Amino acid sequence: MVRLSARLLALIPLAVGINLAMGKFASTLSLPVFLDTVGTVLVAALAGPGAAVLTGAVSQTVFTVVDGKLMWLAFMPIQLGVAVYAGLAARAGVFRSAWRAGAGGLGLGVLAATLSWPISLLLFGGVTASGVSLIATILTALHIPVAWAVYGASLATDLLDKTISFMLVFTILQSLPSRTVARFPLAARARGRA
Amino acid sequence: MIIGYVAGEGLLHRAHPFTSLTIAAGVTLLAFALPGTLSPWVLAGMLVVLAVAAGLTGAVVTTLVFSAPLWVFLGIIYGVFGTDWAVAAVYAGRISAILLAFLLALAAVHPGRLVDALVARRVSFAIAYLLAATLQAVPRLQHRAATILEAQRCRGLRTGGSPWRRIRSIVPLAIPLVQGALAEADDRAVALEVRGAVSGCARTPLSPPRDHLLDRVVRWGTVLVVLAAVVLRVVT
Amino acid sequence: MSVRFAGVSFRYPGADEDALRNVTLAFQPGEVTLLTGTSGAGCSTLLLTAAGLAPHVTGGTRTGEVDTLGVDPMTESGRQALAGRIGVLLATPWTQLSGMAYTVHDEVAFGPANLGWDREEIRAHVHESMKVAGVSHLAQRDPRTLSGGELQRVMFAGVMAMAPDLYLLDEPAAELDPAAAGDLYAMLSTLALDRAVVVASTDVDRLAEVVDRVVELEHGAVVADGPPAVVLGAAAAVERGTAPTVAVIAHRAGVPPDYPTSVAMAARRWSA
Repeated sequence: MVRLSARLLALIPLAVGINLAMGKFASTLSLPVFLDTVGTVLVAALAGPGAAVLTGAVSQTVFTVVDGKLMWLAFMPIQLGVAVYAGLAARAGVFRSAWRAGAGGLGLGVLAATLSWPISLLLFGGVTASGVSLIATILTALHIPVAWAVYGASLATDLLDKTISFMLVFTILQSLPSRTVARFPLAARARGRA
Repeated sequence: MIIGYVAGEGLLHRAHPFTSLTIAAGVTLLAFALPGTLSPWVLAGMLVVLAVAAGLTGAVVTTLVFSAPLWVFLGIIYGVFGTDWAVAAVYAGRISAILLAFLLALAAVHPGRLVDALVARRVSFAIAYLLAATLQAVPRLQHRAATILEAQRCRGLRTGGSPWRRIRSIVPLAIPLVQGALAEADDRAVALEVRGAVSGCARTPLSPPRDHLLDRVVRWGTVLVVLAAVVLRVVT
Repeated sequence: MSVRFAGVSFRYPGADEDALRNVTLAFQPGEVTLLTGTSGAGCSTLLLTAAGLAPHVTGGTRTGEVDTLGVDPMTESGRQALAGRIGVLLATPWTQLSGMAYTVHDEVAFGPANLGWDREEIRAHVHESMKVAGVSHLAQRDPRTLSGGELQRVMFAGVMAMAPDLYLLDEPAAELDPAAAGDLYAMLSTLALDRAVVVASTDVDRLAEVVDRVVELEHGAVVADGPPAVVLGAAAAVERGTAPTVAVIAHRAGVPPDYPTSVAMAARRWSA
């Protein structure tokens, strides 16, 4: 087991807090997104995929506990997938320009929807998050087969959610003062300037 | 309606934290492994009996509140449009049983006690710490998010308007939240280092929960029942 | 000798200037030292460097030699040897919370438990430290419900419970009301019986009477080092803005230096 530094032990709980607090902003602004991976993506840019995976795992676990619904735990692979993708994307310079961040977010949206769709459908019949369930219900009313209805609903929400999340992380990274960035060795490379 | 730990002295509270969690995990697996439309509902029924015996009827109420909308969606998708009410019933029963088992575990297991149990079993302190510290960090950051929202509103932030404007409004909310969190992380890292949290020594559990014989019987019993159900399901 | 600095300079990551410039000094056991200067002078940085937290946790580069309790805190082996032996208290109590304790007792016990002490030893130390810090009556309270002053005293108890060999305190009374601050300062000489206690603070008015030695920093360099009456009563201290209020008043009244550094001292000088 890798020994975690004090810095990561301090950062990860706060990053998870960011994940869960962003939802409050999104709902106040009446935006149909969760933004519940912003903290994980941020850790990916600041400290790499390994730390991000840990953030995602803790985040999904704690979210499950806080929300009281054990079924969220089944969606762990998505958080881990987001973490790995974001870590690799950060390394590849996705957060150096707004366009790249947007494109990267779209790609993640497809990945996240594709990962979550089978879990939602096979384990829970396609009903999990209310927004997704609502869209899926409407699509089935239009005589679209259930499987495609659920995928369509997941895709719609995830494309929007992940693109906004990536562009938000890009904006946040650009706004950080140099001395903050200097504390995280990977951050300067991720955002393209020290 | 309550989510999370509820103080009490009942059956599940006195049990070892791992026991409640094992029951929750066992019920989850059984809900998928047991054949038949009614079996998840039988499981749910048994859990209701357990909830009443353990003094945690609030968990049953919460389960009903959470499950009802999902039953409606399932009924519409699979019953009305799919005309297969049996499938809807299975999914509905499964979700409800899993929900109730988990809510019971949450209500009976105090996070501090769980951390002590994990530390006593030599689970990596980093994992136990991350879970416990995150549980405390989440409400704190929610509160801070609310404060930032109020402060920015006073400065003229509008929460209505076109979708594009609303998306842009997230930025002056997210940046203070993140910058505050990063500054806090700096201080906390110093404190953790100084208080030996990463010293590599094996941490002493402060009040490790007692693991009674009954706890072990229930946990092993659950494991055996789940295994039997899985084998039966695979074989038939 | 508890801490020794030889030609130490330190620069934070991404900074344009050194936070510490060529600092050479030593802190001895049995001595309470006040580290003071104008804001940004480098007092906090000096404490962090002595503890090895700079650069290990803060990042940055350090040159020169540091010896703390016999080891260099910048090396991995040095840090392992120092685990739990340095008691550090920062100015803001709530960021020092462990983040996982639900009672004050468990919060104070966090450090000793991390060091793997056995339960009886932990209990004894926690009990004693809470008593000395005056927080025994708060033992079963949730730390998150305490006031700033109560919390700082709890954190102090947490530091004492680890029985450290060196105390590095950064504005320890910042959150405390005057009475509690006075109590804490009065405790310092007892703590220093066989250890070095270093307090970084701008509260010179009250600390001048309590400490054995004052080290003044300006822009990261040592500009004065000696007994409180000499360092804080000098004209230079008044000019730099680091002198106690009594000294400033004496200066303005036209009295020649060295100025008195406390009301008691002024009374002795002028009531004879």
